[in-house]
Amino acid sequence: MHALSLLLALLGQDDPEGLALFESKIRPIFVERCHSCHSAKAVKLKGGLRLDHPESILKGGDTGLAIVPGKPAESLLLKAVRQEDPDLKMPPKGEKLPDRVLADIEAWIKRGAPMPRDSTGPAGAEFWAFQAPRGPALADAGGIDRFIRAKLREKGLRPSPPADKATLLRRVTLDLTGLPPSPEELAAFLADESPGAFGKVVDRLLDSPAYGERWARHWLDVARFTETHGFEYNKLRTNAWPYRDWLIGALNADLPYDRFTRMQIAGDALEGAGPEGTIAAAFLTCGTWDEVGYKQQSVVMKARVREEDLEDIIATVSQTFLGLTVNCARCHNHKFAPITQAEYYKFKSVFEGVLPGERTVATATETSALSSADARVAETERELAAITAALRAKLRLPAGPAPVARWTFENGGQDSVGGLHAELLGGAKVEGGRLRLDGKSAHARTVPLARALQEKTLEAWVALPTRKQGGGGVITVEKGAGAEFDSIVFGERQKEKWIAGSEGFRRTRDLAALLETAGPGELVHVAAAYGADGSIQVYRNGVPYGDSYAPAPKPAAFGAAEAYVLFGMRHTGGGAAFLNGEIEEAALYDRALSAAEVAASFAAAGHRVSEEDLEAAATAEERARRTILRKTLEEARRGRAGVPPLKTAYVGTRVQPAVTHRLVRGDVEKPGEAVAAGGLAVLGRADLGLTPDAPEAERRRRFADWVADPKNPLTARVIVNRVWRLHFGRGLVGTPNDLGPTGERPTHPELLDALALRFVEDGMSLKKLHRLIVSSETYRQSSRLDPAAAAVDAEDRLLSRFPPRRLEAEAIRDSMLFVSGRLSPERAGPSAKPFSTYNSGGSTYYSLKDGPEFDRRTVYRFNLISGKDPLLDAFDAPDPGVRTPDRRTTITPQQALVLLNDPFVHRQAEAFAARVTAESKGDLAEGVRRAHRRALGREATAEEAARSESLARTHGLKTVCWALFNAAEFLHVR
Amino acid sequence: MCDEAILPRRHFLRQAGGGFGAVALAWMEARAQEKSHFVPRARRVIHVFALGGMSHVDTFDFKPELIRHDGQALSGKGKVDTFFGKPGNLLKSPFEFRQHGGSGLWVSDLLPSIASVADELCVVRSMLTKNNNHTPATFLMDSGFTMSGFPSMGSWVSYGLGSETEDLPAFVVLPDPRGEPAGGSANWSAGFLPAAHQGVAFSTRTAEPVKDLAPPAGDDPAARAAGLGLIDAINREDAARSGGDSALAARLRSYELAARMQIRVPEAADLSNESEETRRLYGLDRKDSEGFGRNCLLARRLLERGVRFVQLFHGGAFGGNPRINWDAHEDVVANHRLQASSLDRPVAGLLLDLRRRGMLDDTLVLFTTEFGRTPMTEGVGTRGRDHHPHAFTSWLAGAGVRRGTAFGSSDEVGYHAVEHPVTTYDLHATVLHLLGLDHTKLTFYHNGIQRRLTDVHGHVVEGLLA
Repeated sequence: MHALSLLLALLGQDDPEGLALFESKIRPIFVERCHSCHSAKAVKLKGGLRLDHPESILKGGDTGLAIVPGKPAESLLLKAVRQEDPDLKMPPKGEKLPDRVLADIEAWIKRGAPMPRDSTGPAGAEFWAFQAPRGPALADAGGIDRFIRAKLREKGLRPSPPADKATLLRRVTLDLTGLPPSPEELAAFLADESPGAFGKVVDRLLDSPAYGERWARHWLDVARFTETHGFEYNKLRTNAWPYRDWLIGALNADLPYDRFTRMQIAGDALEGAGPEGTIAAAFLTCGTWDEVGYKQQSVVMKARVREEDLEDIIATVSQTFLGLTVNCARCHNHKFAPITQAEYYKFKSVFEGVLPGERTVATATETSALSSADARVAETERELAAITAALRAKLRLPAGPAPVARWTFENGGQDSVGGLHAELLGGAKVEGGRLRLDGKSAHARTVPLARALQEKTLEAWVALPTRKQGGGGVITVEKGAGAEFDSIVFGERQKEKWIAGSEGFRRTRDLAALLETAGPGELVHVAAAYGADGSIQVYRNGVPYGDSYAPAPKPAAFGAAEAYVLFGMRHTGGGAAFLNGEIEEAALYDRALSAAEVAASFAAAGHRVSEEDLEAAATAEERARRTILRKTLEEARRGRAGVPPLKTAYVGTRVQPAVTHRLVRGDVEKPGEAVAAGGLAVLGRADLGLTPDAPEAERRRRFADWVADPKNPLTARVIVNRVWRLHFGRGLVGTPNDLGPTGERPTHPELLDALALRFVEDGMSLKKLHRLIVSSETYRQSSRLDPAAAAVDAEDRLLSRFPPRRLEAEAIRDSMLFVSGRLSPERAGPSAKPFSTYNSGGSTYYSLKDGPEFDRRTVYRFNLISGKDPLLDAFDAPDPGVRTPDRRTTITPQQALVLLNDPFVHRQAEAFAARVTAESKGDLAEGVRRAHRRALGREATAEEAARSESLARTHGLKTVCWALFNAAEFLHVR
Repeated sequence: MCDEAILPRRHFLRQAGGGFGAVALAWMEARAQEKSHFVPRARRVIHVFALGGMSHVDTFDFKPELIRHDGQALSGKGKVDTFFGKPGNLLKSPFEFRQHGGSGLWVSDLLPSIASVADELCVVRSMLTKNNNHTPATFLMDSGFTMSGFPSMGSWVSYGLGSETEDLPAFVVLPDPRGEPAGGSANWSAGFLPAAHQGVAFSTRTAEPVKDLAPPAGDDPAARAAGLGLIDAINREDAARSGGDSALAARLRSYELAARMQIRVPEAADLSNESEETRRLYGLDRKDSEGFGRNCLLARRLLERGVRFVQLFHGGAFGGNPRINWDAHEDVVANHRLQASSLDRPVAGLLLDLRRRGMLDDTLVLFTTEFGRTPMTEGVGTRGRDHHPHAFTSWLAGAGVRRGTAFGSSDEVGYHAVEHPVTTYDLHATVLHLLGLDHTKLTFYHNGIQRRLTDVHGHVVEGLLA
């Protein structure tokens, strides 16, 4: 053994408090203040001293030992940070370390400088999980058993004998479908003595739709799926369920896991994935959303809220698919894994364009039906408009300047000049040739600009039903989800006045102009011209509204692909941003119109010419053409009205974000260098070939490929471990979201690798993996406790018996429904709502209720952040919105109270009793036997049957059924 | 995977020698280590949470300079960046401040009853927080994080110390009778800690203080008794057959404890035996303070019976008109007077009652809000104040706390905490310290991190300790 290693081995290994001091106080200071010059990552290593590994810390640098364990006075490092010697001052730049830190360092050296022996600084690339899985793949299920037995032999243990058939059937049925076996299934399995009998059962279960329902619920735990936003408003997400249905479908169809992964990270960016891809990518944003935080006015606080959200996405993606805590590197390099802070921001760049919210989810056919119907209307309108313009010219009526985009709202949000079409959102409607906006959530957003805009003019004809409103935007150009915008805004800073709104009022001035006088419904023409010299002039009804002003030497720049136009909303995420009103028409110009041009534009619309005059001016040919066109237009509009509206779902929205910067110490006010999207160097192939301004979708697409690549050493291991955990109650690695240095080490590393390799070989088929695992003798052995084995391996980590376990909350509830015969066959679709809601002060509250109309499988119940179901809650169902890779299994008095008293349990017991009574035609003895068979998956013993029958005779069968729901045997798989 | 029996620790200590499975025993030992890291000063906690943002400059933080500069613009405080983005001018407190008791602590006439017990208080006038938005700031004060999903303080204390009784939950929450805080139970979630550590919300409005405590209406007692006998027999046979599975023994025990909770919870929640004098002390004789007074009285009864941590919310949903919390955006006088009328008497009564029963010697009372309010008005010429995270006031009283003290200070107008700034993390570290827990050692592994109530921050504030 190397002398240093030996010394290290002696230092502090039996001093857990000293180690804790090192990890909590000393190492963080080294990382934060010293590593830039004194670590492997230093651009130029100073003084030959590295403070990133225990060995190098002890070795010291060019000037000798940095620390002498136990002797603070002789330790150069302490002298340097105390800055006692003018020639040896550390850190050389920045503030001196605080006294508290100096005291910690002294105390640590005094204790003997305890440091961990095996976990060095951050672990290196040699850490097991960063190495490619190796060894032979498993040929068959027997392979699993060979690995398990080898470990058992080492401890002098033996596997248990096979479980009896009834127990095995109940185990595998609950395990794969979350429901107990029916008496018919039990009878069939007991009767089938063929060698393939069990295999047939497994195939039947994997083919059952209940399989996807069961395993989707497991995935929802990891995906932190919630159907209320959480935080202050805690609003209901009535259309988040498509993601749950997609999951169930994907699992039932055995979608290969690499595709399953790609779809959830970048489904909306994948070629040919269609609306399914958009729905699958809801994974990214299906957690909580601090809506109020996104919409508040404080710029810094808002940025922090966004950072928290991005951390949540990064944590979820990296823990779910990679089993790594990349989120721990937000403020500094990861303390335990070779993940740099810059890499955290590479991940952030991948997801920077992902925002919470609703979006249209439609098939290509649905979308193209809509867009071709729109195009037909637009083409006709354009031709009609051209003829009308010619006739106006003939009549010497003024014509306005030519915009780059014009929205007449005759038919949806179509741009009648270019391709800048707008999508109606939040309940916005187009009716009677106007865009109707409710002032609450309705707005419209166009596709991204095709060309960059600097100089520009915004223009609109708008009618307000009331002037008692403030903050709503009529027409806006924005980018970065409201990070920068220009908007014509009503009544925001001064009541009943117009302003040119902008982010943080940066280009906004209060205007010396009259209060708005237009009555309800009266059209007003508003325009704002933004000159190349940075000047801004607002106009009302064709004349200047207040003076021109120049807040900056240049106008704001809105780049192609990143910026877009909004109607009815001041900016994304703004407080009170919505306009209550109707927009008759709007236009966008790529230059600042002159006062004369604005006047002309106002006049052009103001001088509406009568149909008779136009007809009179037209030639016979023009008249005929106009008649045909009008008819065509009518048909086109009818056709458009017949196209069903596109569905929306809570799947998140996307923007092209501003370039991502590393944030010094994670502080939003301290941006560092620009960062491009990328992977983790330690996993290889990390450079995704992207520039910092790469298109948002491309970032996620390439990142998803990187994750799903079979060469990624972690992806297959992580999912194989999850599946193993769900079959045996504990993963081969006990921390399923964390295979990194902070997680546990695998109990059977070779088995984990062999399963991972086999999984890749099998085309990443989850169903093949299930089949492989449940076919093993390890899975099929008895769960009976052997005290001798328990003395050696109390937690059964080595699997000398099948580890019995309590069912999850959902499986308990579903089992009750199943045996009582009440389980609703209704699958998929909107979630069951066993509650009423009420609103108080802007927040939504939920009052639970029970009733037969909610007897669907639990996976189809609304996942509420508050107002949790007593049964689910008591049995450890996690809070929605919290990543839960490893549910806990507790035993509490509250569970007993629920099973004894909850109305749901009593209702099911009642139905269960009625069912077995009917089945046994009133024969009580038979009823009791049937109840046992259904609830416990086995025959009642003679004693059990006699006791229950006598009780039922006095107190009714319901009491027996209720007691069976309280049986530990009912609550467990064994 | 073994099932974790989350039962009161004393039960395990008793059972440890008596045939309990090795697994449960191992679990118990691992947890017992986490019990007190050093000698505790406090055995139990009441946390009063004034929701909505109580104004520090109108309650406990007297600012003569605000009077002098009333109506003038704020200056010299850097970039002013408020929640609603329309800072107005400085507004002097519309309430009269006076010094009280032997300690001479300044308290405004908004809270006359609390002022009368000023000598009990240790007022921290230099609090600051990281968020200016109600719910994240409430989460931060409650759990150390602005996001949901982290264990609340009561859950950590339950996890660290367990309960002193077998018959009641360790962590009880009493929501304001006017309404629950926004997000409801998310505010007393156990996060990733085992579910048994979550707060149990008692309702003072329904006949049943806790859900599923009693059998459904119409349940036949004879059938129930027979059924309970059957359940016991089934599970006993099962445990015997299993050859010593500890989870099955623990489940049997959970039924015994449930039976005791069914008796003890209604008894604890029944205020009818409290004297007239006590009821008056808590303000139960007045309509405006009756609801919150009942909760304060119930809190005392729960603590007497061994509950470890009681959290009282004063205030419900944040919006609405009139608001049912301290969120004085429109008018600080109208809003704060209304809130104080329901809070002042009960809280003062609670302190007096705990003191005369000797309970204040080992009970810590913690009084917080999620942030303060701006010394400026919200918008020019209004009487409202906006959210203010940079300085606010909280106070402690009781076990181990320096009495009749003001600690730290904010600047001349109450904008920044300047002397001895105390973060939410520091406050949490201090509360745990008083309970005998080292905040850096009370940890729980979750997704790669040994999580703490104090994240990676926090220092015990020695200046608050007696």
